[in-house]
Amino acid sequence: MSETVTKAAAEAVVAAQVTGTDPASVPATTGARQFRRRLRTQRAALVAACVVALLVLVALAAPLLTALEGQDPTTYHPSLIDSARGGVPVGPLGGADGDHWLGVEPQTGRDLFARLVYGARVSLGVALAATVFQVAIGVTMGIAAALGRRWVDQLLSRITDVFVALPLMIMSLALLAIVPASFPRPVLVTLVIGLLSWGNIAKVVRAQTLTLKELDHVSAARLSGWGPWRIARRELLPGLAAPVITYAALLVPQNITVEAALSFLGVGVKPPTPSWGQMLTAADVWYQAAPQYLLLPAGALFVTVLALTVLGDGVRTALDPRAASRLRVGTGRRRENKAAAAAEQGVSS
Amino acid sequence: MRQPPLTARRVAAASIGLLVAAGAAACGPEDNDAKTSGGGSAPHQGGTLTILNRNPQQDFDPARLYTSGGGKVPTLVFRTLTTRNRENGAAGAQVVPDLATDTGRPNKDATVWTYTLKEGLKYEDGSAITSADVKYGIERSFAPELSGGAPYLRDWLVGAAGYQGPYKDPKGLAAIETPDARTIVFHLNKPEGEFPYLATQTQFAPVPKAKDTGTKYEEHPVSSGPYKVVRNDNDGERLTLERNTFWSAKTDAERKAYPDRIEVRSGLDSSVINQRLSASQGADATAITTDTNLGPAELAKVSGDKKLAARVGTGRFGYTNYLAFNPRVKPFDDIRVRQAISYALDRSSVVNAAGGSSLAEAATTFLPNQKSFGYEPYDLFPAGATGDAAKAKELLKEAGHASGLTVTLTHSNSQDFETSPEIATAIQDALKKAGITVKLQGLEDNDYSDTIHDVKTEPGFFLAHWGADWPSGGPFLAPIFDGRQIVEDGANFNTGFLDDKSVNAEIDAINKLTDLDAAAKRWGALDKKIGEQALTVPLFHPVYKRLYGADVRNIVISDWDGVLDPSQVAVK
Repeated sequence: MSETVTKAAAEAVVAAQVTGTDPASVPATTGARQFRRRLRTQRAALVAACVVALLVLVALAAPLLTALEGQDPTTYHPSLIDSARGGVPVGPLGGADGDHWLGVEPQTGRDLFARLVYGARVSLGVALAATVFQVAIGVTMGIAAALGRRWVDQLLSRITDVFVALPLMIMSLALLAIVPASFPRPVLVTLVIGLLSWGNIAKVVRAQTLTLKELDHVSAARLSGWGPWRIARRELLPGLAAPVITYAALLVPQNITVEAALSFLGVGVKPPTPSWGQMLTAADVWYQAAPQYLLLPAGALFVTVLALTVLGDGVRTALDPRAASRLRVGTGRRRENKAAAAAEQGVSS
Repeated sequence: MRQPPLTARRVAAASIGLLVAAGAAACGPEDNDAKTSGGGSAPHQGGTLTILNRNPQQDFDPARLYTSGGGKVPTLVFRTLTTRNRENGAAGAQVVPDLATDTGRPNKDATVWTYTLKEGLKYEDGSAITSADVKYGIERSFAPELSGGAPYLRDWLVGAAGYQGPYKDPKGLAAIETPDARTIVFHLNKPEGEFPYLATQTQFAPVPKAKDTGTKYEEHPVSSGPYKVVRNDNDGERLTLERNTFWSAKTDAERKAYPDRIEVRSGLDSSVINQRLSASQGADATAITTDTNLGPAELAKVSGDKKLAARVGTGRFGYTNYLAFNPRVKPFDDIRVRQAISYALDRSSVVNAAGGSSLAEAATTFLPNQKSFGYEPYDLFPAGATGDAAKAKELLKEAGHASGLTVTLTHSNSQDFETSPEIATAIQDALKKAGITVKLQGLEDNDYSDTIHDVKTEPGFFLAHWGADWPSGGPFLAPIFDGRQIVEDGANFNTGFLDDKSVNAEIDAINKLTDLDAAAKRWGALDKKIGEQALTVPLFHPVYKRLYGADVRNIVISDWDGVLDPSQVAVK
């Protein structure tokens, strides 16, 4: 999983670097409108975007949805399971009916629909928050390395290398095992993922910044005496948007799987808080006796990761200048773009 | 069970939990099996029995083994002065003679025990087994390099506390006398009516001094039982046992030893073991397991299949899972709070979390629900099946917690369905109705055991479990409730800090009894008396269900260890 992500990201980086070397297309000027237009032409990405939006909506509306169902994720229903048979849900389809839309959990009788939608909060919440940390740290480190003096670059790049080389799962396991149990677990998992795996994004940003630095408008800004902070904010960040957004879109599904894996290994969020990874752990032995118990969180995880990956890919394609330049050939948009870019540059300077 | 190396204790409790299993008196279809093959036609001699296990037999030195009743595989190789009765159910919880002619002859106050060896006992090389070999076997278990066994001998034998084993101190233990080659006499520093139970442990197996190779002895221990070790690979992961031709069934009423060969394959995953036993293909058709139970999900699958369900053995082992209070921590210093929690508890959800009514029986007594422990049914704080929230609220109000109570429950993060998160979560739910909010504190496995057994770190409210080294009330109650066993700087098992003079005196009085039935009755009464303190809330006694291969016959599962006994099994 993470390898494919890294690979995809690397391609994005290459693409982004191509942008930089092509003076005709300044990345900052591609424009949000154009991006949306290009994204709209990709049907798969659109569907994925809808699925992601739906998942986020479900996660946000979890209390509402479970209230609608009339259940909650923690109440035990001993009458809905067959105690003498190991606690397997009574009835076909894992006890699914009008009261319990997706059936109940073996051994406890807790409502699976409620646990699944509340689990989405943990999975998506942790993954998105961790991505924010990764992007923030990665962009800061990358720009600082690229703009700083030689020794700053050396130092920050070596630190970045260390974080790239760290085995994420093993480090996370170690960290999560030593932090006191009183620390709120979802926050902890977010921090651990966010603070450990920002290395790749930092490398991408550094490389891109080094390229951007040589461009005329940045040189001009520097010659006119702007400080590095202002240059970074006004001249570099717009150009970094494409690779960073691309990379972030691919980090989210990666983080979801890491969170699930950590919960699966018993160091993620703690019961009775439901999370998909935790549901998978409890369900893996039930695959024969109560298959839906395993299939529900596994399916949810699969759909979420797939949707986010497709969306991430769509974003990359939409921001990809090669695709962009192909679109522009002979359409007369090039001039339009130039004009728009000039206008924008005028505003920003 | 005092002053133990903590690991040994843990091994005791854990091995008891893990190694225990299948089919007993009250078992289902396999009972018929046992009767037809045991009673009618004689069980088939020969063949190879395969044992599929999770945990490798890492120790095979009789000095280092910590077993209940001599162990499962070790008992095939080592005979001891006494042993457990190899019968189904409650009868199997009795002590019977093994190498000795009887279970021991005590003096009047049970401080001197005399045993006489049977005639014609031989090792695997044909040489005779003597009482000096039994004495030597016990002495070498005192050597620091061969530690691991139960601590009783060191506590009980006169002048043994500082003994360092025969390698450093060849004079040996004066507390054990061998007046002739067949007689052995033990001198104890206090009355111990249950000495015959202790004599079932592998430390009482004979070891010929000339063949002793110290720590290397376990690579090829000299067999006194029906099988000898011919191969031991990878520290007990793969073992091959073959017949010991010098063993005679005439001197051994307990071990049937039908198969010619026994192959132990361990280091397997529990799901793999159960999958292989249910498929029962090839060599697995004559396979059993001595350490892997059916889990709830596996039981759900097996119970839906009649053919498979007929191959499940059910066993009970004296074991209790309970909630423990530390009365040194507020609010558990108030007995009304402890009682309120006892009343409030909804045991049905706890039983379900432990695997359902087939794998766990709701408990209201600390002693296991077996006769040999002196089980006397009582329910001092009746909670019914689903908890008495009203009574609990009333008590909490009296105790000054009218607006509800918030407590922290400490549990382990293992996946054992005993002290694990799902049990803790069930308790959290089970106390909700009474207005008791439970916060969970999960600790990693080793950390958990160290924390709860250290006086300085012991939490106020935690999940615990206990099993005894032999099926009697003594080793079950004394380590937990004897005030003189509170260990302030070491592994402490009296987690409720009970130090009641009358309880201590009663423990001493019962230990003097050599009539084990009379002793059992008094242990039962003592259990009830201690129960009034509400220092624990008994949750459930586990039931062990184990699959065995399609061609396995003569299933015997005793209440001593609840495990399908490999010494009784025949393979078709």
